[in-house]
Amino acid sequence: MTRKLSALLCAAALVAAASACSSSTSAAGGGDATGPVTLTYGIWDPNQKPAMQQIVTAFEKLHPNITVDIELTPNADYWQKLQTEAASGTAPDVFWMSTTRIGLYAGQGQLLPLSGRPGFESSPFPASLNGIYTVGGKQYGMPKDYDTIGLWYNKKLFDAAGVAYPTAAWTWQDVIDASKKLTDPAKGTWGIASPDWTQENLYNDIFQAGGWVVSPDKKSSGFTDAKTLSGMQYALDFITKYKTSPTAQQMTDTDPSQLFASGKVAMFTDGDWDALTYKNAPGLQADVAPLPAGPQGRATVINGLANVIYARTPHADAAWEFVRFLGGQQANAIQAASGAVIPAYHGLGDAWVKSMPQFHLQTFVDQLDHAVPYPVSANTGPWATADQTILDQIWAGKLSLNAGAQQLKSTTDADLAKG
Amino acid sequence: MRSQRLWPVHVLLAVGAAAMVAPFLWQLLTSLQTLGEATHVPPTFLPGWRWSNYAEVFTSMPFLRQFLNTVVITVVRVAAQLLFCSMAAYAFARLRFPGRDVLFLVMLSVLMVPSQAYLLPQYQILMHLGLLNTLTGIVLPGLFSAFGTFMLRQFFLSLPLDVEEAARLDGAGPVRIFWSVMLPLAKPGLISLGVLTVLWSWNDLLWPLVVTSDAGRMPLSVGLATLQGEHVTDYPVLMAGSLLASLPMIVMFLVSQRRITEGIAFTGSK
Repeated sequence: MTRKLSALLCAAALVAAASACSSSTSAAGGGDATGPVTLTYGIWDPNQKPAMQQIVTAFEKLHPNITVDIELTPNADYWQKLQTEAASGTAPDVFWMSTTRIGLYAGQGQLLPLSGRPGFESSPFPASLNGIYTVGGKQYGMPKDYDTIGLWYNKKLFDAAGVAYPTAAWTWQDVIDASKKLTDPAKGTWGIASPDWTQENLYNDIFQAGGWVVSPDKKSSGFTDAKTLSGMQYALDFITKYKTSPTAQQMTDTDPSQLFASGKVAMFTDGDWDALTYKNAPGLQADVAPLPAGPQGRATVINGLANVIYARTPHADAAWEFVRFLGGQQANAIQAASGAVIPAYHGLGDAWVKSMPQFHLQTFVDQLDHAVPYPVSANTGPWATADQTILDQIWAGKLSLNAGAQQLKSTTDADLAKG
Repeated sequence: MRSQRLWPVHVLLAVGAAAMVAPFLWQLLTSLQTLGEATHVPPTFLPGWRWSNYAEVFTSMPFLRQFLNTVVITVVRVAAQLLFCSMAAYAFARLRFPGRDVLFLVMLSVLMVPSQAYLLPQYQILMHLGLLNTLTGIVLPGLFSAFGTFMLRQFFLSLPLDVEEAARLDGAGPVRIFWSVMLPLAKPGLISLGVLTVLWSWNDLLWPLVVTSDAGRMPLSVGLATLQGEHVTDYPVLMAGSLLASLPMIVMFLVSQRRITEGIAFTGSK
């Protein structure tokens, strides 16, 4: 209730701010930097702050008249703070944007379009990411990094059960068979963890089954499509039919990534971002393979952040210089070396892949060929949150998959209709 | 005979005490582990005694600066609330003026509005005052509270009228009566309001987080929150920092234990 209320208020605030700012954008555009300029750069991940600081230092060396202050906001409160600031005209000049919010912020006129800026080039980045950050024909976000999903597996558990490691040739059936062999109730180990997480699990299965989540015109959702249903059924079967995955309750008590890191789960489809966690987990010998092929072939969800410029920045040109630098080779190479994320810039994933040689991280880069964009709409947040609540009920066994899918469709469609 | 009857009570109390202390003990143990140990399933109890986690708290955030900010914020808020709330409460409880009850209801209505609703207007007022990213900006909205006024008003209402009448017969005016007679009598109420305000202010997160953007201007609550990563959080360091941050509160409790429990029991809340 409170969440809904705050979302409503924030949306209202954004609308108010957008109408207020339409008159001031023209003034903001003229803020050319001849004297010293200080930009603020809003980010939310403390683990990436050192890399961001390195990039800023490199940028300041090239542009002695521009100083960049990094503002780190706690991840959990980043959006609430940003909404307050955006509505008041005080948001950072440049800040991180996610695929789930770009529609809202670009749609409300809170961001400056990058298309048409001198020297803007989107070709070095994955087309699917450029697509997500393009709203109304204009690109608003300079892709920063991307993530894909892979099949993480525990080598020790595979060896103990005498099962061959997953390969790129694996299909759903191979995963199901392996999960049965790897489940050992006596030892308390599970073959696989199949939570109701969308990006890490369900969306991938849906796309591998040939299903869809949001239609290209963003007007309807595909949860009742037979193929979409079969993708969700596959994920749910590990719990209900084969009993090779911990239950929803067990995975709520302990995060599946922790279960995997502790050697309790043999397989887990998870993003590249947990590589560092698995590297540091004591006693864990893990590796990663491509996601298995479903009835309609291979697919992995691609998602990623972008750098955007605030529409009401007084230093639009300096901000563009900075964003252009963030989207360049040097900045992406610094990101890659830090090992925290895969840089969005094409061909610079190598340094990241080599940062953890014990894993086949190249898997995540190679899967770009089968990458399907993370499903978004003009305002993704409300339906994504509502969907998760319904999925939780299906996974907990309180709702059948078919009845739940009906609810997912009606809830999502109602939100999509609001635009 | 007597001790025989008491031992079940003691066992019960000991179990209760253990349950209350366990989270803190767990926090202490976690703060001395590596991240791998801290997130392992089943849990590892004995840590690897990584004292360096505590050193890392000081390198990953300006801990002392933020500690000082928190102290300043808390002291100012507590002093101001005790003064303003008690004055308003006394007026609402004892002074007779037209529209008093309506005014009181209007003030109480503030309690009914969820804080998200006034976050934005409050922020914009401070923005126009040029107080964003300042300690003044953090403190300003917390100088007065409707809850504190309500609480102290109820307290003043419970005090006997006779004392006041006696003071009035001796020629004391309302200010004199308030300051020299009623305020000393209201000491238990003031202490409980003070304790609640200290706890609230020490833990307050959302408002200071929205108002500040410089690490050097943030209180500890916000500084600690920034240690939380998107996918990976260094829990041992976070626990070490939280433990250090809560030490002053623990010390305060140990020093004035009785008054605090009495004060909180008096308001019937926590």
